Amino acid sequence: MFKYWSLLKKLTSREIKARYKQSFLGFFWIILNPLFQMIIMSFVFSKIMKMTGIGVPYPIYLYAGLLPWLFFANSISSAMGALTNNASLIKKIYFPREILILSTLLAKVFDFSLAIFVFVVLMIFFKIPFTFFMFFFFPIFLLQFIFTYGLSLLLSALNLFYRDIQYLFDLVMTLWFYLTPVIYATEFFPAEYRYIFKINPMSVFINAYRQVLFNGTFPNWESLTIGFLVSIGLYLIAHKIFKKLEGMFADVV
Amino acid sequence: MDTVIAFEKVDKYFFLQHQKTLKELVQAIFRKQKTLERVHALKNINFSVKKGETVGVIGKNGAGKSTLLKLMAGVSSPTSGNIKITGRVSPLIELGAGFHPELSGKENIFLNGVILGMEEKFLIDKFQEIVDFSEIDMKFIYTPVKYYSSGMYMRLAFAVAVFTQPDILLIDEILAVGDTAFQTKCIKKMEEFKKLGVTTIFVSHSLETVKQFCSRVIYLKEGKVEFDGDVEEGIKKYV
Repeated sequence: MFKYWSLLKKLTSREIKARYKQSFLGFFWIILNPLFQMIIMSFVFSKIMKMTGIGVPYPIYLYAGLLPWLFFANSISSAMGALTNNASLIKKIYFPREILILSTLLAKVFDFSLAIFVFVVLMIFFKIPFTFFMFFFFPIFLLQFIFTYGLSLLLSALNLFYRDIQYLFDLVMTLWFYLTPVIYATEFFPAEYRYIFKINPMSVFINAYRQVLFNGTFPNWESLTIGFLVSIGLYLIAHKIFKKLEGMFADVV
Repeated sequence: MDTVIAFEKVDKYFFLQHQKTLKELVQAIFRKQKTLERVHALKNINFSVKKGETVGVIGKNGAGKSTLLKLMAGVSSPTSGNIKITGRVSPLIELGAGFHPELSGKENIFLNGVILGMEEKFLIDKFQEIVDFSEIDMKFIYTPVKYYSSGMYMRLAFAVAVFTQPDILLIDEILAVGDTAFQTKCIKKMEEFKKLGVTTIFVSHSLETVKQFCSRVIYLKEGKVEFDGDVEEGIKKYV
């Protein structure tokens, strides 16, 4: 892998640069896009739907779930095109194909880090007290990254064989969004259905972020362990399948 | 001399997917059409290439030439059999495959360079030479390559590719593109490689170039090696 470090670096910067070279506002879009989504949703859900009793102001609560969700959703949708868009490379030159997926995801991490600046400003604006627990954000994000990477490997490889996977997964993502506590808190969900949040890793991660950022407590270790096992398990299986199919990519792409 | 490429009882099957989407697949099942076709692209291929040889691969369309190159480049794996490749393989095929239209010429040199397996430090050292070789005006090197003429594009891509310092060079019909001056330049560079002892695998429909350039020819017919040896004799069999 070390041998391909500079390839990974170049492909990641290609992803980042190429996307914003043409646009007038450039990198600002990375910040503006989630910010506007957050403002619209905040208005709808706090003024119209009256979401209250979550401990912190709704906009910041929403943002803490929306940013990780957008990272997840954008990563998956870009990763699914990563192999098909690089067909000419795949047919001609050998390098480990997962580099294409990894570079796509790293470009999304870059987007995510930029968007976090606005989040930090909002944290200060809403006077959320700083605690030592906030540093748990990093290991939780690492877990989320592994989970996203595993799923991306699996879906991008399958999408090469049948291009419908992409459209099918768009539907899945819509459903998944509503089954994840992004716009609402888990407590709003009927108690008998709350087990969904335990087996849904995205909900585990988002709840964990909110706990360490807003509640000033440790994350829920039990759920996080499930999230950890699912992420690692998925990654190992996905990697194996990806490597097994890799030799056929050039034939089907 | 050392053997650098060895194919041992290599077979390659692949599935020709007639449907790329589920909709087409469902329709095909109802109409009882073929969904998957198993293609026997290469049949029991045995040969070896020694260091410094220049081998021309000839054959009709669909004879398996490109599949053979894909196996050598390592992008596709054989269904059965063994392939042993020693040294750095550089595919001089489909030039500029890794170029991104929005990036500048300079950025694309670096991007394509690392894709082809060069180190960044090496590219920094050779940057000026690469630009000189491509004959592209320095003032265009910071312009996105989407504004390049197709000639400039090809020259830049070729310039990057020839700086890879390969042990084994795979060439697939690259001479079919570009103007005469460009083609002459390609041939000249390939002759240089030949002198340096680079092993070259040359796939072409241009029998003239094969005759001029290669010391051995492999004639593929329907996935099998029909002939392997002397250039003149091989071409006679093919024609």
